[in-house]
Amino acid sequence: MLEDGRISSRQATFLMSTMIIATVVLFVPSITAKYARQDAWLSIIAAILAGLLIARLATTLGLRYPDKSIFEYPEDILGKWPGKLVGLLYVCWFLHLNAEVIREYGSFMVTAFMPETPIIVFILVVVSIAAYATINGLEVFSRANEIFLPLIVGSVIILFILALGQMNFHMLLPMFDAEPEDVLKGAIAPEGWFGEVAVITVLIPYLNKPREAHRVGALAVLTCGGLLLLDAVGIIALFGPNLVEAWLITTLNGARMIIVASFIERLEAVIMIIWVTGGLIKITVFYWAAALGSAQLLKLKDYRPLVVPIGTVLVSLSTLLHPNISDLLQFLTSVWPPYAIIVFEAGLPLLLLTVSLARGIRGARV
Amino acid sequence: MNRKIILLMVLILALLFPEGCWSRREINELAIVLGAGLDRTADNKVQLTLQLARPSAFSGGGENAGGEAPRQNNSWVVTGTGDTVLDAENNLALKVSRHIYWSHSIIIVYGESMARGGVRDVSNFFMRNPQPRETSWIFVTEGEAKNVLESHSELEKTSAQSIAFLARNQPGYSIMLEDFQQNLTSPGTNPAAPRIQLLKLGQPQGVGMEERLRHEEVGITGTGIFKDDKLVGWLDMSETRGLLWLHGKVKEGAIIVPSPGQPDKKISLAISRDKIKVNPEYDGETVKFNVNIEFDMELLEQQSNEDLTQPEKIKEIERLAAEEVLEQCNSALAKAQGDYGTDIFGFGEAFHRKYKTEWKKVKGHWNDEFQKARVDIAVEPHLRLTGMLHRRASLKR
Repeated sequence: MLEDGRISSRQATFLMSTMIIATVVLFVPSITAKYARQDAWLSIIAAILAGLLIARLATTLGLRYPDKSIFEYPEDILGKWPGKLVGLLYVCWFLHLNAEVIREYGSFMVTAFMPETPIIVFILVVVSIAAYATINGLEVFSRANEIFLPLIVGSVIILFILALGQMNFHMLLPMFDAEPEDVLKGAIAPEGWFGEVAVITVLIPYLNKPREAHRVGALAVLTCGGLLLLDAVGIIALFGPNLVEAWLITTLNGARMIIVASFIERLEAVIMIIWVTGGLIKITVFYWAAALGSAQLLKLKDYRPLVVPIGTVLVSLSTLLHPNISDLLQFLTSVWPPYAIIVFEAGLPLLLLTVSLARGIRGARV
Repeated sequence: MNRKIILLMVLILALLFPEGCWSRREINELAIVLGAGLDRTADNKVQLTLQLARPSAFSGGGENAGGEAPRQNNSWVVTGTGDTVLDAENNLALKVSRHIYWSHSIIIVYGESMARGGVRDVSNFFMRNPQPRETSWIFVTEGEAKNVLESHSELEKTSAQSIAFLARNQPGYSIMLEDFQQNLTSPGTNPAAPRIQLLKLGQPQGVGMEERLRHEEVGITGTGIFKDDKLVGWLDMSETRGLLWLHGKVKEGAIIVPSPGQPDKKISLAISRDKIKVNPEYDGETVKFNVNIEFDMELLEQQSNEDLTQPEKIKEIERLAAEEVLEQCNSALAKAQGDYGTDIFGFGEAFHRKYKTEWKKVKGHWNDEFQKARVDIAVEPHLRLTGMLHRRASLKR
């Protein structure tokens, strides 16, 4: 097989969780608050429920072919060429998604911490490290992530506790103030991010207990959903819905608000730690998925020769996609979530599953 | 061997590109901003005044290190003018040899000219720019903000720190940039900020102390109240207490009331644990607010000779304290609601919390609605403690 690594269910859960949290805490709270205002938590709960459905869909589909990835079994389901087309679409989607994430990563570092550094520096550095991790394979970055995720979850919880003193929970009232359709509109963005759990369709063949995939997907969505809920409630209690909507990276401003006993302050570096570690893992996962997918589609013996070319594509794509940050944000707010959900997170898996069920075919049992 | 050489090359290469190099800031190349003042000039430009730390004043040694050494300025105050805050900063930077660094700025002072004309235009800079902190304290001053920043402090290193510490201790109504902006964005409340003024303070303490002449120090003397983003009027200290009561933010302080049996003598009551409940009522026409203020008191000073420990005396003291607090609240209400028609108490938010659908109709003109509203205040003080004495200690028996 192309990838020799095998990971445990726990490593897979951790990997999926880090992957989603890393970017969801950046822009999503402010996008959600724009529609649902102080009822953002309702939107997030709705998004978690939908995320669980998407995870279940992906794992149900994947477990019908437990030794194959989403780049391979469409051929069994739809026939050779249509199947290859679907696989190719997924490779393109992973590349595109990754380019967006890399751009977000760079924009965040430049906006918040190092405004005079050219964005390409951050992009090059992170893609190089991700390339190195990809070459080393799934097991290596899964293990690295076992160190990162507790760090990330711990930081978010500690920041929340430290900021409690500045919070005013009256800001969350009145409840159920937003119109139901606004709550749903607010749910689309977090749902787009939770739906990235669909990448589990690439991971399933490499789980040492594939049967636990259902649990992996659900746990990952619940972990990220829980943290996003904590984050959104925290920053709305800090700033009120009007300011949350205006900030670019609300969570960062939330961390800046922390002053405990006049000396525990200026904790935005903690946010940077979350973002740099989480962002790196996320970029690596999609990098690896794209490289592996291309190799499987082209029936190569190894995916490693593709790592450098794909890196080149990622760097150029992430710089070329958006002329400025407003364009990036506009894209992430209104185009990306519906596009990702309808086509790749729910649409294609649903189509594949339906056809597979209708034709009554399935892969080898494990 | 080959691998080792390649590894070494890679490490050396890595040294050439440490990521942080571009945006590094060496501390000896920075002009650290401690406080900023904003005034509007006669020709409608923004005048930015910055109090910059003089590093030598902050490096080591105590206040009196060097014994007889002449006192030096701990900060340097520079002013620049421009169309926007950044334009003013750039013009100001022409006179400053170092890179202006905002991250340690702790106060923003709006001069009266700026505050009366509206602060929305200039406050954006402090939110958009990553360096200034959301936790900066906001003030307004009568006259020019420049004069306030040009003062110095006897106790702290600089006047900016002295003002910020005053705000942090909350003797008056303190507000951070983030809360101020939040009040600006909310239709249900208007901002208020503490008024600071230069006060003649301090006397030469004996012969040979002439160099420490009387000087002007900054103090909090009330509150400036805003309607939307424009300063409309002032509350004095007693009215500010009313504002604090109505915000449930009376952290400390005392109420002075006449002694029940001997009205010419006074007693002092220290306040703790104040709670406020605002309950709006709306019948489609008029808004009514039932406000309930509850707090604990401790008897800390008694001028009279009577025995105050009897239950009926305690009841009477509580009644007098309630009257006093009610008066403070009503005077603040009379100014804000009666004179200026601006809701600085966040009552609109309380209304929004209870009447979600009705709020949509009134939120566009909430200040007018508030001006017509009736506010009923009930005050419930509880005298819980009597200090270290249970009766007077200095009476002849």
